[in-house]
Amino acid sequence: MSAPQTIDAAFLPEFPVPVREPRRLHVVDAPARRRVPRRAFGVIAVLGAVMIALVQMGLSILTTQSSFEIASLTQQQRDLTYQKQILYDEVAGLNSPQYLAANAAALGMVIDETSDGAVIGAAKPAEGASSVDAIGRGSVRNALISGVPLVTDPQKAAGPAAATDTAPADATAPTTGSATPPPISDGLPTPATR
Amino acid sequence: MTTTLSRSPRRRTVVALSVVLIVLIAFVVRLVDIQVVNAREHVDEALAMGLQNSRVEYASRGSIVDENGVTLASSVHRYDVQVDPMLAAQGLVSRDDDGTTRVEATWTDLAAKIAGVLGEDPAAVEKVVTDAVAADPGSRYALIAKDVSTEQYRALADLGLPFLVFPPKAGRVYPDGAVGGNLLGFVGGDGQALAGLELADNDCLSSQDGKVVFQQGRDGVVLPGTEVQTEPAVDGGTLKLTIDRDLQWYMGQLIAEQVQNTGAVRGAITVVEAKTGKVRALAEYPTVDPNDPTATPAEERGSWAFTDPNEPGSTFKALTAAIGLESGAFTQDTTVTASSSETLRGGARVTDAFAHGANNYTLTGVLIDSSNVGISKFAEMIPAQTRYDYLQKFGIGSTTAIDFPGESEGILHPVGDWGDQTFYNTSFGQGLAVTIPQLVGAYQTIANGGARLPLSLVESCTAADGTVTDVPSAEGQRVVSADTASKVSQMLENVATQGALASQVAIPGYRIAIKTGTGEKTDPTTGAYKPDAYFTTMIGFAPADDPQYIVSVNLDEPRTVKSSAAAAPAFQKALTQVLKNYRVIPSGTTSPELPKFG
Repeated sequence: MSAPQTIDAAFLPEFPVPVREPRRLHVVDAPARRRVPRRAFGVIAVLGAVMIALVQMGLSILTTQSSFEIASLTQQQRDLTYQKQILYDEVAGLNSPQYLAANAAALGMVIDETSDGAVIGAAKPAEGASSVDAIGRGSVRNALISGVPLVTDPQKAAGPAAATDTAPADATAPTTGSATPPPISDGLPTPATR
Repeated sequence: MTTTLSRSPRRRTVVALSVVLIVLIAFVVRLVDIQVVNAREHVDEALAMGLQNSRVEYASRGSIVDENGVTLASSVHRYDVQVDPMLAAQGLVSRDDDGTTRVEATWTDLAAKIAGVLGEDPAAVEKVVTDAVAADPGSRYALIAKDVSTEQYRALADLGLPFLVFPPKAGRVYPDGAVGGNLLGFVGGDGQALAGLELADNDCLSSQDGKVVFQQGRDGVVLPGTEVQTEPAVDGGTLKLTIDRDLQWYMGQLIAEQVQNTGAVRGAITVVEAKTGKVRALAEYPTVDPNDPTATPAEERGSWAFTDPNEPGSTFKALTAAIGLESGAFTQDTTVTASSSETLRGGARVTDAFAHGANNYTLTGVLIDSSNVGISKFAEMIPAQTRYDYLQKFGIGSTTAIDFPGESEGILHPVGDWGDQTFYNTSFGQGLAVTIPQLVGAYQTIANGGARLPLSLVESCTAADGTVTDVPSAEGQRVVSADTASKVSQMLENVATQGALASQVAIPGYRIAIKTGTGEKTDPTTGAYKPDAYFTTMIGFAPADDPQYIVSVNLDEPRTVKSSAAAAPAFQKALTQVLKNYRVIPSGTTSPELPKFG
């Protein structure tokens, strides 16, 4: 209702210019200024969303990657466990008293009656008899070392000879994988390094 | 105009928003339906498509170690070799892109390769599959081998044959073989404890397998973060024994040689620590190698020292002497007159092992000459009930604290059942039966100043989480006074110095106390004593001035020497080895000489 009056007044030069007019221009400016920050916010929001998506994808790729890595390391661990088991089987029984005593006896060492641990005179094979005959009459059987040649005398094996005959199909002892006995000239079978 | 203009977009917005809202609500409803209402169904459906899998987490049975921590029994992995006969019979087949198939290797060739790894006859391996296919052409399962080693398993796996599977199983290895095999016992092929300490302490050793549930992709890779351990795997505990494995081996070797030398049926050597009651060695021959128990006859797989009681013979005279001294029935100065054969109260007939005239024996003299008549006359001074009560206190008639599987409590008839003959016979170890550990326990009492300690074979059980249980009780029980024990010990020293076997058992530098025993054996078929068959014992301890170890050597029915002298050489070697092994300080004094005759 007031608008037609204002327009009429503008056509009258004698009329003093009302103070309201410049104010109306200012009001128009303001929305134009606001548009710029709004676009920036939009760009930031979109960029942010893209960034988040990218980071998520990256993380997902990394997780997947590490799960493959874990799988390969698990495989490696399994192989090493197998290797450990194989090596354990190979050396089982080699530190048994029967085997050590038979090896010592093959070197000419004796279990003497009055040892105080002192070494007297020159080291030479003992002259007296041992209180037990660990090599000739080894009677404490051990299926793990039956047929295993001595380190100190590869021509002989520890344990009673009978044990080799009475325990042919020993499932718990690692067999070397062939029907023929291991060659005694090679000494102890050395574990294969894998 | 303004209202129509502004109303139109507003309505559109409202319509658009409503549509969005409806769609959203539809999604939410469906989401709740999927995630909550029918969740189980969908999860099951997904899992049924092979998304979920689980695996057993194997826990291993605990180890058995000796007093120094050396492994006596440990768990290893073993594998069975199973085959799919239907596929195997076709050999190794490859398929080209155009669908033509080609046999790369026939089953006969492959069987030869498998047999090479297993060390078996190729024809036998081939036969497993041909037999299975002959019986059922669609056969999918046959067993080629059981309990193969890891090395063989890997070699077979490397052959890359798709029709072989290798289910793992627990195996048991005893690195020292028959060293302590009688005590350790063994486990069966299915991992079940069957004998010895494996069985007795199964609660300590047994393990609990765990289970892990996870989700996996098509290639079998586990989806990260989906692994859930539904049941934890718990390893078995470590069982520590009081046994010294080197000493146990020595005793095993020694008794084997002595049994062979004397032509005996079997033999045993026992070593017990005097001040703790801990069994340091208990070797028997013949014995079992737990790595291969089936190689040993069933009756030799256990520990007869614990399960088969025998009439001990003259070793019991030391107990009769201790009981008389303790109860005040007689003193060390009391003497009796005894001939080599006499008829005593109630017409009981008692005879000595060697002929002699009427001797005026001291108690020491009776022990030195091992006179049955002499000890019978000393026993007359002790009321039967008193003797019975003291024997029980010495542990006769009840199992030892070890409580070994199948352990016998021996035979000690109640006093009411003792006739006159049994009254005398029990004073010199006939008419009753004891196990070897029972007798060693009684001598431990004398060696330990009159206080009997419970014998123990197990030092401790350490569970996987570190908790320690089964520690043996160190609480002793006073049976006789220290003074009585010391007097009996001195008399037994005189048996070692003045007895017939003095030169055979002497160990320079050490005062030793011994007593021999030659028990008659009952024939189980007739119930009467077997002619010419004896259970011989030599038991003693050293150093007698401060006893550290008790050693007992037993031979069952020795042939070449039938008396207790059969055990003497092995006893001397065994005691020497024990003193050396534990660095026991020599006595530095000599045994006091006690009069043999009054």
